[in-house]
This record gives sequence, structure tokens and C-alpha cells, in this order.
Amino acid sequence: MKRASDLRFRYGYLIHQVFVVSLTTLSAIIILTPVVWMINAAMRPIKEVLTYPSRLDPSQLTFEYMASLIENELYRGYFLNSTIISLSTLAIVLVLGLLAAYGFSRFKMVGGRYMLLGIMALLMLPTVTLIVPYFRLAHLVGLYDTLFGLIVVNSAFILPICIWLLKGYMDAIPVDLEEAAMIDGCTRLQAMQKILVPLAVPGIVGTGTFVFVFAWNEFLLAVTLTDSPGSQPLTIGLAAFFGQFVRDWNSIMALSTITSIPLMIIFVLFQRWVVQGMTSGAVK
Amino acid sequence: MGEKGAHQPTSPEMTVKITEAQSAQQGPPSTRRILPRELYGFLFVGPAILFFVLVSIFPLLRTFQMSLIDVEAGIPLFVGIRHYAELVQDPWFWSSLTNAFVFTVASVILHIFIGMVLAILLNETWFSTTLRNIMRGLLILPWVFSTASAGLMWTLLYHPFGLLNYLWVGLLGQEMPIEFLAKPGLAMASVVAVNTWKAYPFYMIIILGGLQAIPPELYEAAKVDGANAGRRFWHVTLPQLRPILIAISTIDIITTVGHVDLIRMLTRGGPLRSTETVAYYIYKTALLDGNLGYGAAVSTLMLIMVAILIIVYLRLVSRGSESGETSF
Repeated sequence: MKRASDLRFRYGYLIHQVFVVSLTTLSAIIILTPVVWMINAAMRPIKEVLTYPSRLDPSQLTFEYMASLIENELYRGYFLNSTIISLSTLAIVLVLGLLAAYGFSRFKMVGGRYMLLGIMALLMLPTVTLIVPYFRLAHLVGLYDTLFGLIVVNSAFILPICIWLLKGYMDAIPVDLEEAAMIDGCTRLQAMQKILVPLAVPGIVGTGTFVFVFAWNEFLLAVTLTDSPGSQPLTIGLAAFFGQFVRDWNSIMALSTITSIPLMIIFVLFQRWVVQGMTSGAVK
Repeated sequence: MGEKGAHQPTSPEMTVKITEAQSAQQGPPSTRRILPRELYGFLFVGPAILFFVLVSIFPLLRTFQMSLIDVEAGIPLFVGIRHYAELVQDPWFWSSLTNAFVFTVASVILHIFIGMVLAILLNETWFSTTLRNIMRGLLILPWVFSTASAGLMWTLLYHPFGLLNYLWVGLLGQEMPIEFLAKPGLAMASVVAVNTWKAYPFYMIIILGGLQAIPPELYEAAKVDGANAGRRFWHVTLPQLRPILIAISTIDIITTVGHVDLIRMLTRGGPLRSTETVAYYIYKTALLDGNLGYGAAVSTLMLIMVAILIIVYLRLVSRGSESGETSF
């Protein structure tokens, strides 16, 4: 009797596993097809991308298209701009975000609750509703077509969610440790730097990845506020390239792959913390 | 557990109590002890608030102000509500609203449906945790790509000689390739598909977090009661996920309605303006046609609609946090 139910349990478990694993794998294959196809098109001979009927597997692989783009001064410029914009946005957002999250997490303030609700409202504000005044104001204050202007508005749009995520992390860290450090003679800022920030590192890495991905991929603000390759990021370069060389799918996909490589690397390295942040910090 | 436990999921009060007890444990530690002065916190919060006032709130007010003036001639001219009067009679504005509605509703339903299915699969017991984590990583991947890249990837897939038509014509033996982005009705569906592909991972991860937070005892008790998988989903999973689902659908509606870049990359609002949503209409009138005042008027109307959603949502959240329910 017991043996029979045991067997049934194992049998059921096996079916369950086959079902779960195969369904997930199938979904992953379908979902990753566009990515595989992009890399595939970036690396195969030009006549094989859109021939009809085509073959799915490349007859030979080549780095020719990516190499010629990397050698191109113009696309190196876009790449550099994207790097500067993303890293500067990251710096501004982390400094302002950590301070604000600390303030909200560790102090009871007059109107603190309303400020938090206001930040949550800003978190949901669609970018498109502000492009008109940004376009006008950027001209008025001389920040149109500058990297700095783009960095400032990028920061404004990603800061709310960062404050929210970082506050979630700090709320989960007991204040006792900081108190002890302050009794031992640390100032508040020292206690924050030496105790709280190291403990919040997973949260900071997760939030930082979020910011970097956002800034690297941002398109609408860049299209609104920049006009020349000197200040445009890769996303704009990609769109411009597509507009200019509509038929050269090898190079388009090569540029798209190059644009995505830094993100894929960062993602593989920090995925764990991003997921952790989104599953615990955000939904509390 | 025992017999008493078996009745837990059938009584809603118990479920609520469990959530309350949980959030009480997870709640922020007491901050009162290190409180020197009520105003000290402003030193930390101040810089961010000042930044928001300058870079977000001031431009927000400018949007409204700019909708009342006309700057086309070079000299700002006050025109009052003229732009709004024109707007009401502008058929393209109304069609852009309809398109935005279709785009948003379809996207949100698909994001949450696919996110939920995959989150449930990832939340099952797997014989290998490593394999599950790899799958989770692969399933999040679309979220990492820029909209520009995603748009181009899919333009290639949708191409009359692309992969999808290779399957359609080459393997299924159809005569004509499908023109995914060139037929009015189909173009919208194709754009929604790309948006679903790009955005579902975010919601999948948040739903996964929500699933992991559901106490396993609830499922055990339901099993003891003889509830099958379907009933367990309906009576345990869904009610427990409710606050999270409300939160993410609101956030998703607001994010999706604001999309410009995807439509810019895939269709530029075409064919026959069938994918021109209200967000794309703002971009087009203000930046491409240079009609800033009119664009600001559309922006203001969109802001009002979004504000209503945000206020409804914030009320839900505040009520949720007072009663101890978990929420975003």
C-alpha cells in the first residue's frame, strides 16, 4: 500500500518535472530567437541574411562587420558618449539616492510621508509628457545638444525608483550597528559610510545595474535633447544607422550586437542582485 | 499544522492575519531611537528634493504654461485655450487615444499573463536549482536590450524575407509573405508583440517575488483540504498576489501608454497612422513638426489622465500600508 503510493508519487514527480522543465525551455528558446537571430545576422555573409528561401545556419562566421564598425571613428564616438552618459548618471543617482534613502529610512520627518508619495508619483511620470518643456528649457539654459544636459534629465527620471529601492534595503538593515558606531565616536556620515553602505552593497549593485541599463538604453530624452553625433548615445547612432543604410542588415545587426554587449556582460555579472532587489526590495 | 491548520485557507480573516503578522516582522526597524531633531533628515533628503523640483516639477509646470502660448513665430504669443479647442476637434488626436488604448490594454494583459505563467513555472520545485537559475537568467534577458536594438531585431524578423516569413512561406508552404508592419490591423499586433517580448521579464520577476512570499503552509493546508492545482491557484495564489497585481498593472499601464521609442523604431506611427499612440503624437507634433504649443497641450491632457491613475493608485497603496497589506 505504502509502496504503491510511493511509486505514484515518484511517477507524478517525474511527469511534473518533465512538464515544468520542457515548457520553460521551450519558452526560453522562443523568447531568445530574436537575440540569436541578431547575432547570427551580425556574423554571417551578406547574401545569406535575407535570401529566399534562406538557410538557418550560417555557412561561415565572420567578425568583419563588427570590426569595421569598431574601427569607425563615428561609432567609437557614440560608444564613448553612451559610456560617459551612463556612468555619470550612475554617479549622480547613487549619491543623491543613497543620501535620500538614508534620510527617509532613518528619520521621521515633517511631511516625510508626503514626500515619499510624491517620489512615487514621479516614479510613474511618463518621459514623453516632459519632452516639450525639456526641449525648450535646454535651449534657454544652453544645455541643448550637450552630454551634461542629457545626464541631468536621465538622472531625474531614474532617481525616484532608486530612492525607493535603496530605502527598501536600508529599512531591512538594523539601526543598532550604526548607533554602536556613533557611540564609539563615529560621526553620522562616517557611520553611514563604514557600516550602512558596506551592508547595503548588494542593494547598491542591483540598483546600480538598473540605473546603468536604463541610461545606456535611453532613447526618447536623447532624441529630444541632442542633435549631433558629438553628444548622441549609441541608441541614437543605431537608429540613425538604420535610417541611412536600411538594406545593410549585417552591419545594422552588428551595431545592435555591439550596443548590447556591455549590457549582456553587466547582466551576467550582476543578475543575481538585480533579481534580489526586484523580488524583495521593490515589492514590500 | 494538524486539523486546525487545514481550515486556514478557507477563512479569509486568517489569511489577512498571516499577511499582517508577516509585514509586522519585516517592517522597518524603529527609527525613533536615533532621532536627534525632526529636521535633521532634510539634510539627507534635501539634495534629491531640490533636484526633483528643478528638473522634474518645474518643467512639469512649464508644460502647462507652454500649452497656452504659441512660439511658432519666434515671439511667444499668448493664445489661451486655443490649442485645447483645436485639440478637441482634431480627429488624429482622438484616433491616437484609441490606438494608445488598444496598445496599452493588449500589452498589459500579455505582460502580466506571460509574466505570471513563467513566474509560476520558475517557482515550481526543480530537480536542479542551477538549471532553474540559468532559465531565469535567460528569460530575463529581453529586458536588458535597448528598445532601439529590440526594434531592429524584430524588424528583421518581421521582414518579408525574414525569419518569420521563412517559416511561413518556406515551411508552411504559403504563397504570400505576411507583411507584419505594413498592414494597419496587423501592424498594431506586431508592435504589441515586440512590447510584450521586451517588457514581460520585469513583471515576471516581480510576480516571482510575490509567489515566493506566499507562506507554503497555505498551500499545504489547501492540499489537505483536497484542493487541486487549479483551485489552489484560484483560492490561494491569486488572492495572495492581488496587491502586487494591482500595483504592477497600474505601473504597467502608465509605462506602456508613454512608449515612443518602440513605435519610432518599428512603424513611425504608420501604416495609415494605425500605430500612432498619443505619446507618439506628442513626439511627432512637438519635435518633428515643431509645434511645441500644441504638443504641450496634448502632453497636459496626457498628464491629467496619468495623474488620475497615479492618484487612484497611491490611494490604494496608502490604504494597503495602513491595513498592513503588502504593496509596492
